[in-house]
Amino acid sequence: MAEVGLHSVKKSFGKVDVIHGVDVDVADGEFLVLVGPSGCGKSTLLRMIAGLETVSGGEVSIGGRVVNELEPKDRDIAMVFQNYALYPHMNVAKNMGFSLEHRGGSKSEIAERVAWAADILGLSHLLERFPKQLSGGQRQRVAMGRAIVRNPQVFLFDEPLSNLDAKLRVVMRSEIKALHQKLKTTMIYVTHDQIEAMTLADRIVVMHAGKVEQIGSPLELYDRPANRFVAGFIGSPAMNFLPVNVRGGRVLLADGSELADLGAAAPPDGDYVCGIRPEHLDIGANGAAARVEMVEPMGADTQVTVSLAGQKAHLLLRDRITSNQGDTLFVAVRPARVHLFDIRSGKRGN
Amino acid sequence: MRTELSTGKKTALYGLMCVLLIPFVFPTWWMVTSSVKPISDIFAFPPDIIPRAFDFSTYSKVFELQPFARQYWNSGYIAALVTLGTMTFSSMAGYAFARIRFPGANIIFMIVLLGLLIPAEVTIVPLFQMFNRLGMVNTHWPLILVPIFGAPSVFATFVMRQFFIALPVELEEAARVDGLGRFTIYRKIALPLARPALSAVAIFTFLHSWNLYLEPIVFISTPEKFTLPQALTQYTDAYGGAMWNIQLAAATLTALPVLIVFIVAQKQFVEGLAHTGLKG
Repeated sequence: MAEVGLHSVKKSFGKVDVIHGVDVDVADGEFLVLVGPSGCGKSTLLRMIAGLETVSGGEVSIGGRVVNELEPKDRDIAMVFQNYALYPHMNVAKNMGFSLEHRGGSKSEIAERVAWAADILGLSHLLERFPKQLSGGQRQRVAMGRAIVRNPQVFLFDEPLSNLDAKLRVVMRSEIKALHQKLKTTMIYVTHDQIEAMTLADRIVVMHAGKVEQIGSPLELYDRPANRFVAGFIGSPAMNFLPVNVRGGRVLLADGSELADLGAAAPPDGDYVCGIRPEHLDIGANGAAARVEMVEPMGADTQVTVSLAGQKAHLLLRDRITSNQGDTLFVAVRPARVHLFDIRSGKRGN
Repeated sequence: MRTELSTGKKTALYGLMCVLLIPFVFPTWWMVTSSVKPISDIFAFPPDIIPRAFDFSTYSKVFELQPFARQYWNSGYIAALVTLGTMTFSSMAGYAFARIRFPGANIIFMIVLLGLLIPAEVTIVPLFQMFNRLGMVNTHWPLILVPIFGAPSVFATFVMRQFFIALPVELEEAARVDGLGRFTIYRKIALPLARPALSAVAIFTFLHSWNLYLEPIVFISTPEKFTLPQALTQYTDAYGGAMWNIQLAAATLTALPVLIVFIVAQKQFVEGLAHTGLKG
């Protein structure tokens, strides 16, 4: 186990800068998730930690040792790739024991470690099979087995569940979490799926265009997003954004109707973008009038699309409703659940 | 997606294949059957599909008139060495061109490919002078070294490069994380996976070396050192006329290993071609 440090880490491909000075400290045994949209630089950052990409600037350290110039093999890390990267010409046992074999492990030691990893991952009956004879989930498990068999200081996961179907993804997600709880090894996990990030992480790093937007625990990011990007990225369905005017603590929509009264907690008067999560908009007898545009029952929840002061907004209701298209509802939000963002910078204002 | 052909289309397709079979199979059939016919029957018209009489003495005469077994061995070991050498060099060069980033890699690859455009006839005289100076004329060295470092190897390098380019980079990255260096990745990961391409290269190279004609007649002058294509031209009577049935018996024996190699390895051969994006 080891802590990982990224200090002012930069990456350029030719003249194009893709990582603009990232600072993150990963604690020993922590499960850190790098999340962000495609092209934000999260995989590049992970590959720099692994040593598969050179570092253009700054410092990468593992266990207190700067590893910028070290080859991947000398960093004591293991990596699980998106497409598993299992060696097609080796069976499961050989795939899992290959790195130990190459590092000069004895046959008995390799067999023992492979059996241990296979037992943890439920692969004991598949050791003689070749990758092409395995299902997607089994291949994923072998890839993880290959990583854990060496007992490295840090595990790196590069979107390991992207190639699995939705159902299997949920199963494997739980297995990865259980694996972390069992091994307690530092894990850095890259994904573009914010649900994966929320469910797995001790802390999440939200990245956008090569920069860190916010670092925090899943609930910190959910409850107090630092800016409009994080607010829109974390949470499903995505947060509603409405232009509002704050006057004397009251949050007013474009048509002058009041959405909430923040009282003393309100920022200075002025125009803001108001962020409200769909699950935080309540229907009641009072509040701003909203015209129903669409009702989508999902069994446990009902998603309702409304027009609120001329803007489209979504509500996620636990209760079933009888409203139809064209009906008027009154919606309100509790003051603690109102997020106000600066119109220009997008930074949090309350 | 594979679509099922209708019965009519299938019949037409098989009919076409039967017609095409005639020009492809007839020459081989004629060679094999003529090798056991008396000379007078060989040029009879219309030709006999099945010989009227079988004379297998032609095969023993092949070995009586020339050191044919020795020549067979010469062709065999030269083709084996050329195949082994080409597989080694072309796979390493192909891997380097596909995977190692070095300045001018593309330009160097283009220059290497230019080797394919230069006909053997153009380079044969300077090569003769070079090997003559090295004292290697009338030895097998030119027949081994020229293909290994010449145009056949360039083509093989191209085939191998195309294969290695298509190999997922993540496999090598996983191997790097597992602790392997560049050469070990080539030897333990890339090369075992390149079997289809290597098989294609092996067949191409073996065939090329086995059929080599220009270089042997330029470099070799002693019958004991002849290779088979050169030896085939030597079955003539006192007046220089071809002894057709004996020559065709020798040709049949010459073609045999090639046919066997192709039949055994045709799956890899076709797969190898598919990997290059080329068609036969």
